[in-house]
Amino acid sequence: MIWFVAKRLLAAVPTLLAVLTVVFIIVRIVPGDPALVILGDQATAEAAAALRTRLGLDQPMWVQYWTFVSNALTGNFGASLVTGRPILEEVGAVLPHTIDLTLASMVLGVVVGVPVGIWAALHRNGAIDVAARLLSLLGLSFPVFVSGIYLLLLFGLYWRLFPVIGNADLSDFGDRLHKVVLPAVALGLTMAAYITRVTRSAMLHSLGEDYIRTARAKGVPWRRVVWVHGLRNASLPVVTVVGLYVGILIGNSVLTEIVFNRPGLGKIIVGALNQRDYAMLQGLMVIYCFLIVVVNLVTDLLYGVMDPRVKQA
Amino acid sequence: MKLRAGVLAAAFAMVAPAAMAQQGTLRVGMAAQDMGRLDPHFAVSTIDRVPMPWVFNGLVRFPPGSIDAAAIEPDLAERWETSADGRTWTFHLRRGVRFHGNYGELTADDVVFSLRKAANAQTSAFSADLRAIETVEAVDPYTVRIVLKENVPNLLGILTNYAGGFIVSRRAVEERGDGFNRAPIGTGPFALERVTPNQSAEFVANPAYFRGAPQIARISYRFIPSDASRDLAFQNRELDLNYGRSDQTWVNRVRQQQGVTVDVFEPAELAIINVNVTQPPFNDIRVRQALAMAVNRAEMVRWRGQDTSREGQSLVPRGYLGFTADNGLLPHDLNRARALLAEAGYPNGLTVRVVHTQLPEMLAAMQVIQQQLRRAGITLDLQVVEHATFHQQIRQNLSPLVYYSAARFPIADIYLTQFYHSRSIVGTPTAVTNFSHCGMADAEIDAARVSTDRAEQLRLWAAAQRKLVENVCGIPLIETLLVFARRDNVDYGYQLRGSLSLGPQITEASRLR
Repeated sequence: MIWFVAKRLLAAVPTLLAVLTVVFIIVRIVPGDPALVILGDQATAEAAAALRTRLGLDQPMWVQYWTFVSNALTGNFGASLVTGRPILEEVGAVLPHTIDLTLASMVLGVVVGVPVGIWAALHRNGAIDVAARLLSLLGLSFPVFVSGIYLLLLFGLYWRLFPVIGNADLSDFGDRLHKVVLPAVALGLTMAAYITRVTRSAMLHSLGEDYIRTARAKGVPWRRVVWVHGLRNASLPVVTVVGLYVGILIGNSVLTEIVFNRPGLGKIIVGALNQRDYAMLQGLMVIYCFLIVVVNLVTDLLYGVMDPRVKQA
Repeated sequence: MKLRAGVLAAAFAMVAPAAMAQQGTLRVGMAAQDMGRLDPHFAVSTIDRVPMPWVFNGLVRFPPGSIDAAAIEPDLAERWETSADGRTWTFHLRRGVRFHGNYGELTADDVVFSLRKAANAQTSAFSADLRAIETVEAVDPYTVRIVLKENVPNLLGILTNYAGGFIVSRRAVEERGDGFNRAPIGTGPFALERVTPNQSAEFVANPAYFRGAPQIARISYRFIPSDASRDLAFQNRELDLNYGRSDQTWVNRVRQQQGVTVDVFEPAELAIINVNVTQPPFNDIRVRQALAMAVNRAEMVRWRGQDTSREGQSLVPRGYLGFTADNGLLPHDLNRARALLAEAGYPNGLTVRVVHTQLPEMLAAMQVIQQQLRRAGITLDLQVVEHATFHQQIRQNLSPLVYYSAARFPIADIYLTQFYHSRSIVGTPTAVTNFSHCGMADAEIDAARVSTDRAEQLRLWAAAQRKLVENVCGIPLIETLLVFARRDNVDYGYQLRGSLSLGPQITEASRLR
């Protein structure tokens, strides 16, 4: 197991290096001048040039690249060009909010999506199946900036169950839980819709296999056939999708964060892009990449737990 | 940060009796993702500018709620005198003014340091404003002498509680270095307690404030970029003040809410189409005149809203010292516009490629212009790019027409110099925002700046505007005012008619009812 984990982590190193390089190039290809953003539109060209020098943006590209990579490899991502604060400090301040939202949405997605998917598969082409498919289609089609506003209107403004401003006090677990509910519902229901469809499809495939027929012929109770033989074999694609979707959740949470006024990585990255904060963008991309690598690693480990053949291979 | 908060708390505890009257937290919702820089000399965006007068003072100030340059009054300086030639100014500081926390009493040394910092392009975004200052020196701990290279139209204006005029604590800047951006120390009625990235900035009352302890205990300045969510939070009474949208629909909708007042105030942002007079087809004045006559300002005001906008009348916003509407501005006349185009060799109209931003408000305005010009046969091929890209490309002369909306210090000199003086032409080392490449009014602008005769100064600024308007260097469109919504429990303590910090000033007299 340790060797497996070490091997996967080692394999992530070239991925991270490639990401560092691509990100470095992309953020500099995008037009826009961070000096103008920082100094505003009343600054003279001379003042902007002076600031570019101070920020090291007038250095040759390879010098900037070398500085960035060598610093990143030692865990130093530098400071934001705009706020001057250390990037790790900025990220550290909002990361718990992103993790809260991602985990809550994932739990909601799985808790709703898997049972509904199974239920739909067991009632193939029946009313329940049709309803589940329609609802999941609706869930996938509804953008979060629409569902989010409706949730805020209903639960925030009319019923006053949840606040509209969702920035929680990290030291107060109750407050964190209270303020993550609505955004997690908005984000989690889309995930649930996706997982419902995948689970349904995987279960249908699994329930059509010979070993299911054999089990039923041997008189194994239907409940056991479904939950042990059917679901266990159907769970690999579901785990794959959940793993992939968690990566998407981390990256795609920006709209949810904006609509629900939550701090988070997505919001920071949009701000950094608008302000051409190269240092922040680079640091965030590396952190994102690292998180995705970790999620993939956990997914791979779960494969091994669920299907021993994967571990042996 | 915690240590600083502790020091602040300890310092304020010493003057606890004065704080007894303070109550409540004022919750302000702003359309932003985060704060940028809280060093007042780098505070260029709206989100950074609004709280600057809460934290800092200038030597002089605009009375709260006003942007009238004629009403400037003492702030950190209690009096001043000038030499006969107007080049030497001596300011006498108030005694006993204390910086936040344990940063001690304000002295002339802090003022000298602040003005030198503000005048240095390495340490300030507003260095160009203080270009006329030759020397600043401390005569004694409570006296500062400023010597100018030349007379300037309004030195007091430069030294107000605005942009480069804010006074910082020398010791705090030197101790904190770049950290001063997020932990500023001033003498204002409120001190910054902490900034939580992406969430809010929290300010606490400064009970030792020299005008008296503020009546509001805290300000929670919240960053809420989504307009819809901010409006919902305001409606849900989670905010007391809400940064508003300058459109009539929004104003009408918010005014229908009970217990809410919508404040519409100066300075207005003047939107102008700057025309590059060196690029074909606009190097032909007939084409520029056709463009000017195709624009329908009254229609734009109807579109934007009567309460929040008004027609632009010159290349300087209304109300600025030196503004004149008597400048030869061409009226809307489609037939004449078509005839001028035909005369210039474009009987079938023409198509122009224009770079424009994707910012919704600016894009919508440009689309209105696009429709108006189409009626005269001028087709705008809009190249919509992301906002930072827009700013870069218009400075590279990639667009012959540049839609630009801005508010400046309310003196004609600033607007005319930044937008229409040849020194400010984009692409040059001294560039600011002269997109039209016009320089025909340089003589008047320069002469007005150094004139000591106010009547002569006004005449020169009027002459400059007439030249620039007649040559169609720019086409004024509309002026859009600032809008904030306020719950009726908020009493500013003054009448809000204008604010150069682009948001309501919260003073020692402001209170929550």
